Amino acid sequence: MQEFDHIQSLWQSHSVEVKISSEEMLLQAKKEVSGIKTRSLLNIFGMMISFAALVALLIFFPFTSWTTQAGLSIIIIAIAVSTFILYKDYKIISRNDFTQHPKEFLSQLKIYQLNKFSIYNKLYWFYAAALCLGFILYFYEMLNNLDLWFQIGISAFTIFWMALCATFLRKAYLKREKERLDLLIEKFERISSQFKEQA
Amino acid sequence: MEQKDQLFKQIFDTNSKKIFHLCYGYTGDEDSANDLLQETFLKVWQNLDKFRNKSLISTWIYRIAVNTCLTYLRSEKRQAKDELTDNIIENRPEEFSEKNEQVALLYKSISKLEENDRLIITMVLDELPYNEIADISGISEGNLRVKIHRIKQKLTELYNQHAGI
Repeated sequence: MQEFDHIQSLWQSHSVEVKISSEEMLLQAKKEVSGIKTRSLLNIFGMMISFAALVALLIFFPFTSWTTQAGLSIIIIAIAVSTFILYKDYKIISRNDFTQHPKEFLSQLKIYQLNKFSIYNKLYWFYAAALCLGFILYFYEMLNNLDLWFQIGISAFTIFWMALCATFLRKAYLKREKERLDLLIEKFERISSQFKEQA
Repeated sequence: MEQKDQLFKQIFDTNSKKIFHLCYGYTGDEDSANDLLQETFLKVWQNLDKFRNKSLISTWIYRIAVNTCLTYLRSEKRQAKDELTDNIIENRPEEFSEKNEQVALLYKSISKLEENDRLIITMVLDELPYNEIADISGISEGNLRVKIHRIKQKLTELYNQHAGI
């Protein structure tokens, strides 16, 4: 039969090791947030590359039909507007550091989540509609000289790709992003709640 | 800001080991204990300017850690599981010894206690003065003494039961 003193000496003999320093700990907290910022930046960067490529195409290719130029212009404008909206959204979370201004950061993270949801729901359909119109006008001249089967193939692939982006990919992205942000918001709310209660 | 950084570093170096042990005793799992340690010290960092020197800073940090432990496990819908404490042996086969087995049994026994009791006994095992534990847990010292006596008995009973003594 062991007594409590034995248990206490056992506890005290079991040395635990803290494997992290104070600096590493703060850095780790910042890293969780920077993952979201990096993904958002990559998204913007990708859009900017598409924008530059299409502008170059419009400037350096001698398109003869006005429909091609109008089509490309519509796609370019749609991409430019979307990139601007994404950049505005990125600025919301890049403004504050969670370790320095937790309250502000948390409220901005919630706004960011709502915005993201709105961008990939309501605004996405405007973007998709503009791209569809742009592609129809663009293909009017471009596909004209091709064989009928090529015309059907390219059109079918474009429709398939846009439908895939609008349904499966969009929903999967939204779901994953929501889970990530929910987890982060829940953690930061938990961290902030104790002092909110005591205030 | 640099002054705050230095103060925080000093506070972290002085208190992190004890807080980690508290979290480890509560969860019986190193990863969860690390998460709790991080959350506790993030709260300390963010609220350092709110500390008014009414109590010892260690008491203040313990209070934060206790609250963090209680809310963390509830929100994660986790419970300290037997297999977690078994990991203490399984993860370190090279360190396997009778003593390690006894330590694992101790964590297993602690995990069978109620959430609040787990935290109180961890502080008792770390030899925190009773008045400090009372302050941290928000229980009067008289009631705490009775409670601690009961938890000590329960823990000893559980330990002996698991050890087959």
